[in-house]
Amino acid sequence: MPIIELKDVCFRYGKKSPYEIRALDKINLEIEENTITGLIGHTGSGKSTLVQMFNGLLKPESGSVIVDGENIWAKPKEIGKVRFKVGMVMQYPEYQLFAETVKDDIAYGPKNMKLSEEEINRRVARSIEFCGLTPDILEKSPFDLSGGQKRRVALAGVMAMEPKILVLDEPAAGLDPKGRREILGGIKKYREKSGTTVIIVSHSMEDMAMYCDRVVVMSNSKILANGTCREVFSNHQLLFDAGLDVPEITNIILALRRSGVEIPDDIYTVDGALSAILKLKGGNNEL
Amino acid sequence: MNFDVGFGQYYEAKSPIHKLDPRTKLLFVIVYIVAIFLARDVYAFIPLTALILFSIIISRVPIRVILKGLKPLIFIILFTAILNVFWTNGTNVIFQKEIIQGHWTLTLYREGLINAGILALRITLLLMATTLFFSYTTTPIALTDGIESALSPLKLIKIPIHEFAMMMTIALRFIPTLTEETSKIMNAQKARGADFSSGGLIKKAKALIPIIIPLFVSAFRRADELATAMECRCYRGGKGRTKMRIMKMRFRDFLWILIIAGLLAGVILINIYGNGYRL
Repeated sequence: MPIIELKDVCFRYGKKSPYEIRALDKINLEIEENTITGLIGHTGSGKSTLVQMFNGLLKPESGSVIVDGENIWAKPKEIGKVRFKVGMVMQYPEYQLFAETVKDDIAYGPKNMKLSEEEINRRVARSIEFCGLTPDILEKSPFDLSGGQKRRVALAGVMAMEPKILVLDEPAAGLDPKGRREILGGIKKYREKSGTTVIIVSHSMEDMAMYCDRVVVMSNSKILANGTCREVFSNHQLLFDAGLDVPEITNIILALRRSGVEIPDDIYTVDGALSAILKLKGGNNEL
Repeated sequence: MNFDVGFGQYYEAKSPIHKLDPRTKLLFVIVYIVAIFLARDVYAFIPLTALILFSIIISRVPIRVILKGLKPLIFIILFTAILNVFWTNGTNVIFQKEIIQGHWTLTLYREGLINAGILALRITLLLMATTLFFSYTTTPIALTDGIESALSPLKLIKIPIHEFAMMMTIALRFIPTLTEETSKIMNAQKARGADFSSGGLIKKAKALIPIIIPLFVSAFRRADELATAMECRCYRGGKGRTKMRIMKMRFRDFLWILIIAGLLAGVILINIYGNGYRL
């Protein structure tokens, strides 16, 4: 059974004003439990609006959002509870830090859940470990940290709520390559250990190919494609038409094919490309 | 939270009012407000109302937009009017009732009703004039340019007018940015289970801390970045600075100054020679 299910969801901004913008147009989507799903699409395609549907920050105009078997808008007054089930890390989450110490900031979410003191401490310790931080950071002020550290503290603040579903909007935006690898690798490890369902919004095809099990492509307020990485990234023309790109390595493979090399066109990782090229060279995996 | 206020809402249209020099508009509105409060004869309100309605019509701002801008202030208008009804003494009693025996008698005079009506009309005209000329038909930038130019004689006594105008421009520029920032931060904290609507006053005030602190941090960061960007572009204050839009008084500006001067003269004449009800 899918953990998130959207049925015919529509949404417009600035309803009935001259500035009306259609953001979601009859979206039907199912997210399977215990997967990492990547959400891609060019700017303004409706990605951020879509993820705000998952935890009830926005209410669909029509259609229903079912999380963990329950329609989240059945009781609009209890919408807050959904936010403990679906944790969301917004874009540039470091700008939401406010507490005096890192520990207090990470504990803000769990405190809102009215957990016991020991449980909060256990969760804070666990989440900083996943985010690659050391316990000596806990007593520091969040405003004294570096940009990358702030990002991780903000991420830990949501992980500490131990949501069943974790949604991340551009978690690696503006980080250097090492920071990207650490954050995204940490998220992958976290998912493996906790069994959380993860949804990542990103512009980077490489990151998607490397860390996601499934990819959903959005374009013009609609879902253009939804499948495994192999299915989506082998449909090159569809991605190009949507104003997107395939991973760099796939571009290389496509260029090779154009110049006459017989190589399969559904390769989207460096490792996949390496073994395909070696195979061409003569069947053995030795260089 | 709703930040939908009339101030700073420019209504894009091509009209003679939009084209007026902001300095003309400043002068026009100031003289108009003086005329509203000089008027002592009820008949003086006829030209006052007529002029503002005429301006609204030729400005091409729909009357519905103007009324919508007045909506949040209806309560204040009604409140002051009602207070006036009961606080005016006169001679023509309409209604009288003793509320607390021997101590407080509620009396309603005809004069009270008229005064309250006139007061409500005065406030409405004042709001219509300021919003029409300053908000709907003038961009905030043009308005600050106008204020800067109108106040520039004060530079002679070493008052840094340009710097004040620059501060005002920057403040106006950042209202929408900070509004957007606030809603983003609110969403982020809501996603962490923040609850802004339940609990008593103290609990509600405390719930705002996670919004206010990040908002201040980001406002300071933006101020810092803006200062650096301005220095990179060699901003050194007003001295020797030229303008992209040079304001120039045209025929229509003098026409409007003539109209408002005529209105002021008319109101004074009606005050002296009119025979309507006098305030």
